[in-house]
Amino acid sequence: MGGVAKSLPVVDDSERRPRRLGVRGLLEVAGLYAALTLVLIETLYPLLWVLFGSLKTKEEMLSNIWGPPSSLVFQNYADAWRIAGMGSRIISSVLVTGSALIILVAVATPCAYALARLRFPGRGLVLAVAVAAMLVPPQVMAIPLFMVARDLGLINNRLGVAFVYAATSLPLSVFILRSFFVTLPADLEDAARVDGASRLEILIHIMLPLIRPGVALIVIFGFIEIWNDFFLAFLLLRDPSVQTIPLGLVSFFQQYDSLWTLYFAALTITTLPVIVVFLAMQRQFIAGLTAGAVKG
Amino acid sequence: MILPAAILFCLFYLWPFVNGFWLSLHNWDGFSDPTWAGLSNYQRLLHDRVFLGALRNNLIFVVAVVILKNALGLGLALLLDRALVGRAFFRAAAFVPVTMSFVAVGLLWSWIYNPVFGLLNGALDLFGLGGLKQSWLGDADIALYSIIVVDVWKWLGFHAVIYLAGLQTIPSELYESAKMDGAGPLQRFRHVTVPMMMPIVFINTILGLSGAFVRNFDIVYVLTKGGPNHATEVVLTYMMSKAFQDGAMSYAAAIGYVLFLIVGLASVGLLALMRRQRLDV
Repeated sequence: MGGVAKSLPVVDDSERRPRRLGVRGLLEVAGLYAALTLVLIETLYPLLWVLFGSLKTKEEMLSNIWGPPSSLVFQNYADAWRIAGMGSRIISSVLVTGSALIILVAVATPCAYALARLRFPGRGLVLAVAVAAMLVPPQVMAIPLFMVARDLGLINNRLGVAFVYAATSLPLSVFILRSFFVTLPADLEDAARVDGASRLEILIHIMLPLIRPGVALIVIFGFIEIWNDFFLAFLLLRDPSVQTIPLGLVSFFQQYDSLWTLYFAALTITTLPVIVVFLAMQRQFIAGLTAGAVKG
Repeated sequence: MILPAAILFCLFYLWPFVNGFWLSLHNWDGFSDPTWAGLSNYQRLLHDRVFLGALRNNLIFVVAVVILKNALGLGLALLLDRALVGRAFFRAAAFVPVTMSFVAVGLLWSWIYNPVFGLLNGALDLFGLGGLKQSWLGDADIALYSIIVVDVWKWLGFHAVIYLAGLQTIPSELYESAKMDGAGPLQRFRHVTVPMMMPIVFINTILGLSGAFVRNFDIVYVLTKGGPNHATEVVLTYMMSKAFQDGAMSYAAAIGYVLFLIVGLASVGLLALMRRQRLDV
């Protein structure tokens, strides 16, 4: 960059540094931020509206559609929690998502390691199957999946559903983890092998700490996917007592669609924690996402 | 070491996939004995007007969503790229809807679209555009497009962030030399940004495409359940209602297979196109 600037002294870099400019540049910056503010309103105002609505009385909801609540009705939250059965839904969601992620990491890591490092017959085939499976979205085989789960007695079984979720995230996860293993130097492993460590010991004690970013990536993706999923849960968790948060929200909405303020409270309870977690780790999140996508 | 993965995969991926095909070649309600049906389920699909309508809606959904997500995502990324102050803040804000569940997004928008006290009709009144007020989800002519807007709203930040990362890999020297050659802002966009971004456009299209075919059940189910009168029916909602309301398990399995074939062909076609483009560039 420095070299180019020196050989081409007339180049003015104003496009990249609008703050140095005159009236035209200022107008440009103003337009830019006006447009961004519009995007900001379009994105965040609906969410703010839900938050406001969740704290209003039912009457104020109708008289004051737009603004913040005049008094804070926290009772809405207590009522929503009770009527929507939030406690048991949250337990179900934690149970399903947590076990699915543990199964996923425990199963995908050794498979990805083997595909990256070991030479065994059929290795190419396994890899090809993993790629092909990414072209088959699990949604298209919902009906036979339901049949298989029913035959295995896994309908309404939260741990059983966790296995199904782990299976549906498996191909992509193996693929991502494998690409992390491939980048690790082989010397590390060879040294440990000379010291008499087994493959599994090497994997757990040496390799795993080194591919933590890869594991974090599949856990974050898996978490968002499984925690938010409605479709498979709708298919496999039919009994209200084992249903996860998204299912609970929908049935609450369908049964009590006139209780708007409670409804907004329920929506806030379920949405806010995920948004807070995202904001807390957005740097890792966005970095992981774009690194994967842009490298292709 | 691959054994646990292989077992899990075979049980909940490969076996349903194979079993689904077997199922689609039989007539079965899920309980009594299955009887051989050959390709009759598939033949019936060709004459099923609701299915064909759902397929049409699904294709409109896919095309509209992929184009809008790419165009608006790139636009937003260009804005974010120029914003030197507060970029991280705007980027995070735009990304928030991506982290929300389809159900939460769908329910939120069902309130926004509410014809009586919804935010959208209220906003139209506020700006004196009361004449444009609609029953956004109740009118068969516009309900599908209302749903498309919701899906684009949810995913816009995701595609913008990927485009932004792509924009930041373009060396600024390219812009500077284009400027030296007398290229205006539009020409620079056309001859520097667009060609450099082609790989990212493909990535965004692939990500959007596979999602748009099969990630629409939640949102349609929550907003309209496929109504009014099948106006927003997509393939997955029809498949689920066939299976669990009509008990036509094998017919529903055939619907799933047709959807798989379409998604598979679209993805493979796009990948082939991408490979060819890479060689050209």
